[in-house]
Amino acid sequence: MDIAAAGPTSPLEPWPDTVEWQPVSRDLIWVELIRWGAMAAVMLIPLGVLWAVFGIWPLGLSFAVVLVLMLWRVWSIFRAVRAWGYAERDHDLLVRHGLVVRRLSIVPYARMQFVDVSAGPLERVFNLATVQLHTAAAASDARVPGLRPAEASRLRDRLTALGEDRAEGL
Amino acid sequence: MVIDEPRRRLHPLSPLLHSAKALVVIVVALSWQTLRQVGLGWFALMVLVLVLGAIVMSVISWYNTGYHIVGHELRVYEGLLWRRTRAIPLERLQSVEVVRPLLAQLTGLAELRLEVVGGGKTEAPLAYLSVADAAALRDRLLVIAGRSPAPVAPDGSTAEVAGVAPARVPGDGPLLLAVRNRDLVISQLLTPQALALPIGVAFVVLQFGYDPSWSFIGVASTLTAIAGVLLQPVRRVLSDWNFRLSHDDTALRLRFGLVETRAQTVPVDRVQGVTATWPLLWRGHGWLRLTLDVAGVAGQENGNGNETDRLLPVGTADVADRVAGAVLPGVQLGALTFQPPPERTRWFHPLARPKLGVALTDRIVATREGLLTRTVMMVPFARIQSVRVVQGPLQRLLGVATVYADTARGRSAALRDRDLAEAWWLAAELAERGRVARQTAPDRGVVVVPAPTPGPEGVPLRPQTSA
Repeated sequence: MDIAAAGPTSPLEPWPDTVEWQPVSRDLIWVELIRWGAMAAVMLIPLGVLWAVFGIWPLGLSFAVVLVLMLWRVWSIFRAVRAWGYAERDHDLLVRHGLVVRRLSIVPYARMQFVDVSAGPLERVFNLATVQLHTAAAASDARVPGLRPAEASRLRDRLTALGEDRAEGL
Repeated sequence: MVIDEPRRRLHPLSPLLHSAKALVVIVVALSWQTLRQVGLGWFALMVLVLVLGAIVMSVISWYNTGYHIVGHELRVYEGLLWRRTRAIPLERLQSVEVVRPLLAQLTGLAELRLEVVGGGKTEAPLAYLSVADAAALRDRLLVIAGRSPAPVAPDGSTAEVAGVAPARVPGDGPLLLAVRNRDLVISQLLTPQALALPIGVAFVVLQFGYDPSWSFIGVASTLTAIAGVLLQPVRRVLSDWNFRLSHDDTALRLRFGLVETRAQTVPVDRVQGVTATWPLLWRGHGWLRLTLDVAGVAGQENGNGNETDRLLPVGTADVADRVAGAVLPGVQLGALTFQPPPERTRWFHPLARPKLGVALTDRIVATREGLLTRTVMMVPFARIQSVRVVQGPLQRLLGVATVYADTARGRSAALRDRDLAEAWWLAAELAERGRVARQTAPDRGVVVVPAPTPGPEGVPLRPQTSA
């Protein structure tokens, strides 16, 4: 009865005995960092230029605040990418992600409507792809970014095969 | 079984009905202004010309519209310049509705509306068919969808079906429930809108008394505003008038409406969930309302929230139990024992915490919410699309998490702020019970091993491990 109570209570590690989490590629860190860096540049450069030109302290202060936030975000990107994970169980796919708001999705293969594999330009540079599983529920949230193309197509094929085996009406 | 057949047209009177609708639009569009400018004779002539135009258009459109059943699909053809063919896969049929607006009732016609999963709006409103044709087509569609009680032999020809159908229209299986119109009216009087009416009237009278010069237009517009507020309860009364629910093994049949009558057929195993609502003002009577979640039913139609998915507009607890039991077998609203979230979450819900709760039975998961207007949402395990566990930063401080059971309707049952260990247990349990329920679903005809659940059978919910 108290299996659950005796089990782990870490938000990211449920059922460690039965679930083997697959990490996503560490290269996703670079993709995220570059995306974030572009945004940071858009905010920081004007602030920095204004500060240099006018030299008033509130500009310098906001520059510093933004810089600290950016650095914190960079640090959290490292951790967030490590927190992404997926696991293929016999009947369902588990996806977990998020640091501030932690999410875990359990999507049965039988409920799968279709699978998306996508790779943006930045992802392609780092040889990565994203697999997304769609069910009839809009709220279902099963997206796995940062997969190697080979792994992405393997996952897609496996999901499709399992989905066909177990597909059914609603 | 592949049924192939020639294309059929809609009823020949349908262009006239469409034109009659157009007549209203035309008169409104021309407006009083035009009438005053051009005089009555010219006005009548303009209306006549436009109506004739509308009739010609409707006839052309009618001539080019057709439908037939090919295999497991209903195909609908329409359009003259822009040809459009819609193939509606009947495996995905969620509910069929026979709608009869006032004019259609006078002419003995009906409109057939299909709800298909994934469709954002009602698919293929076939307007209009004769009542017998509509009922016959509905039964055939349900047979092909494979979920029907099959009152008609699947190989029965159209003519036979058409012969059987009219006799069945009034009955439709054993009557489960008939809502008394008196209760319906009282229940709609007990809404905030209706209760606000005396205040509104008093306001107008008071204004008028203090300031007789208050213009007539002012009074008129205030009255219009009051009428607008009252529109929803009045519309509810009209649409739910003579509410009848009957039920056989596989389908629910709902009939309701005063000006526009509707007969809706919902296969029971397409029900994604049932929501029970206890509005504050109804508590004196012990009344509640049940709504049905069916994938694909367009809720936003006519801007009126849940118009097509009513299951019980008003009823007492035992009536509701009877209805809920028919839709979700073995479910009794009163027998659900809800476990509130842990004591430490009281800061999230200072007042409502004891009212929140989760209950599991052997078939459904239910969540209760709301302090003033209490709602209970019930989702059968077999209809769960995915399970999510979400933990925000504040929840992490308290060691709790929210579990969501997602359904195809786009609504999720939220099991709020459960103790983390319990949340994991619930998530695992929902996923597992969902899998077992899907495999043992009656329509699959396969019975597989029972759930290897860690908890003992019959325990509604894992007891709190510590106080």
